[in-house]
Amino acid sequence: MDRLKTLMDWFDVRLGVREILRSNLQGYLLPRHVNIWYSLGAVLLALFTLQFLSGILLLVYYLPAADKAFVSVERIMNAVPYGWLIRTLHMVGSNIIVAVLLLHLLSVLFMGAYKKPRELTWLSGFGLFNLSLILCLTGYLLPWSQLSFWATTVATDAAGAVPWIGEGLVTFLRGSPSVGAGTLGRFFALHVVAFPLLFLGLVGFHLFCVRRAGISVPPFGPSARPAGVGTTFQHEVHRDGIPFFPNYTVKELAVVMFVLAGLVAITVFAPALFLPPDALEPADPFTTPDHIKPEWYFLWAYQTLKIFPSKLMGLAAQGGAMTLLALLPFLDRGEERRPFHRPLFLTLYGLGILLLLGLSIWGHRS
Amino acid sequence: MDTGRQGPSERRLFLLSMLAGVGALLGAIAVWPLYRYLAPQGGGGTTEQVAIPLSDVPLGAARFFDYHGRPAVLVQVQAGEYVALSAVCTHLGCIVKWVGEKRHFLCPCHGGQFAPTGAVLAGPPPQPLASYRVIVQSGKLLVG
Amino acid sequence: MKRGVLASLTLLLATVMPLTAAYAESTSASGEAAAAETVCLQCHGGQAGRLGAPVSPWRQSIHAKNGISCHDCHGGDPADFAQAMSPERGFLDVPAAAAIADFCGRCHVGVREDYLASAHGRARERGPHCVTCHGSHTVQAATLELINAKDCSRCHEFGRAGQIKEAVAAVDARILAVERDIAAMHRIGFATRELQDELFNLRNAFHRLFHTVDVNKVRKETEDFSRQLDFLDGKIAALHAELQWRQLVGSGVILLLLAAGVLLLLLRKTYADEERGRKEE
Repeated sequence: MDRLKTLMDWFDVRLGVREILRSNLQGYLLPRHVNIWYSLGAVLLALFTLQFLSGILLLVYYLPAADKAFVSVERIMNAVPYGWLIRTLHMVGSNIIVAVLLLHLLSVLFMGAYKKPRELTWLSGFGLFNLSLILCLTGYLLPWSQLSFWATTVATDAAGAVPWIGEGLVTFLRGSPSVGAGTLGRFFALHVVAFPLLFLGLVGFHLFCVRRAGISVPPFGPSARPAGVGTTFQHEVHRDGIPFFPNYTVKELAVVMFVLAGLVAITVFAPALFLPPDALEPADPFTTPDHIKPEWYFLWAYQTLKIFPSKLMGLAAQGGAMTLLALLPFLDRGEERRPFHRPLFLTLYGLGILLLLGLSIWGHRS
Repeated sequence: MDTGRQGPSERRLFLLSMLAGVGALLGAIAVWPLYRYLAPQGGGGTTEQVAIPLSDVPLGAARFFDYHGRPAVLVQVQAGEYVALSAVCTHLGCIVKWVGEKRHFLCPCHGGQFAPTGAVLAGPPPQPLASYRVIVQSGKLLVG
Repeated sequence: MKRGVLASLTLLLATVMPLTAAYAESTSASGEAAAAETVCLQCHGGQAGRLGAPVSPWRQSIHAKNGISCHDCHGGDPADFAQAMSPERGFLDVPAAAAIADFCGRCHVGVREDYLASAHGRARERGPHCVTCHGSHTVQAATLELINAKDCSRCHEFGRAGQIKEAVAAVDARILAVERDIAAMHRIGFATRELQDELFNLRNAFHRLFHTVDVNKVRKETEDFSRQLDFLDGKIAALHAELQWRQLVGSGVILLLLAAGVLLLLLRKTYADEERGRKEE
């Protein structure tokens, strides 16, 4: 114990670590009635850490070559001790991450937490959401299964609808006229190095924004008021709040534990839940499997493209919706954050969720 | 249990020790698969003999091969007399070369020299090269 | 500021478009795709009567499902309209009754051998040919139902055929069960190719066996097949045991994680009590 204190002293003299710890842990006060939804950020942090770790471990045995990738994944799943565990955790984890990301996004929307002065937090968060989906898409190709191959073929093919440069864009994305060894090379580099680095930077910025602006007060209860944000920077302090550590972190950790329990449950009891039959067959560039469907979180996009008469219109509709969502804090500038004082927003919110669900179910059934 | 009567700090101590136990157990369960996943598979630990065709090792020539995951070398020193040695220099682990005309091994890294028996002739190597048993059996050299 | 927003908008569009556009169209081509292009099907598919008749039963057959098309049996050139049915390109017309076994036997080598040696095969001038029981273009995956009183008694009493059916029924059921087990294991990510190959060989050998239509031989050899199936069952049981082990340890981990979660919530409560206490002061 004494030695620990000496070590702390050593660092404290040089970097003032005690000050940093105090102001970010015990001295960092959160609003007294932060709810369970505020813990989703911590859940995502834990899940992404797990993805990074399992991803690094998979790299030990995975071979990024068109003629070896499928066999190497099969080897990880069957021959390497506990390879099945690492791979299944990585795969199931990615799906759970998308689900938690959606919940995080929806709760921030519902509580109006994206509003001034937290526009940058929202933008970086929305960027992280998209980056996560792109990570899912690029990771999808790596096992080089029938599913990987054809999902990537169809996904990259959509870029062909972009006017003028469409065809060139498709070839550039694929690294060859059709999906092949070249595609695997670039998707591999993107999935394991480029995007994770970008992701880390963006997460850092996101957390900085959260910490710098201060946690938003939940817009519920009798004391909730419109924020009244001024024109100068002001860190939102909560003088009678609860310390971030340990008072609040124990709650966050509890939620993390429950989510991890769910992750393990799916991994051991329903490993095939996110593993369609086509994911078990090696890629065959000359045979498209029947009934190829995207992952559940892309079903809405898939269905949207089917509804519109031209691919370009479908793409434009999706791009428009996503852009609108990204720029929401710049369009919705009222200070009111209480959901039930914002009937128009609440209606659109509900309809939006219903639309997303409806399109997804439609896409699943069709 | 009458924890309701105890103050928060007493309950906390109890809960924290429980949590530490659960955490230690979870940690142990997580470390085992990790170790097994990363532990080397196959290669080392086998005791099988390595077979090399006789024709691969003409008189005065050397044949390098893999002996249970480590480089080794076979030399026919005199007609019908075979020697199998570890090819890893005992100085810093470089792989020795066979110098046919001088009939010795030379380590390219720091100039260590070994006799065909494995004994150090010159240079920094502290120990002779390990040697393995060789037997000739139906057209093959069996090492180990 | 405005320009920054615009730039981010463009950037976002660029990243989001290819992504959300995923899976633009579902192509519904299948294993049949290659076969569909042959000139055989293009021509005969449109013909009425005898010449067009084989096409639609073939489409429902096990041959079509496995990508075996017209030219795989009838030869000829499936890519050349003019020469498609030219004998120089190896075209074979409908085989004569006595030649049917050789026609099918080019692929089904083992079955041909045992069939020719059997009472059925020796009587083939008038006796049953492959197509008598299996049909020609309609051919389906063979099941035990092919041996039935109605079909067999077209030529002879069902008695002996019934005995053979009885003798092979148990092994046949086990083959089907093992097939299902292997498929279930494959579905959750186990590599089962080796098992599938072993079962494939076993089933082929077994199907050969009852083409001998020799009750005693069938009875004697089914035991041997049973033993081979025991071996496969053992391998599958090992996979099951592995799965159960995973689920057992997994359950333990789940319980521990839930326990940790509950302990943390209780811990949260101790802090909440303090916070309340402090507020009351």
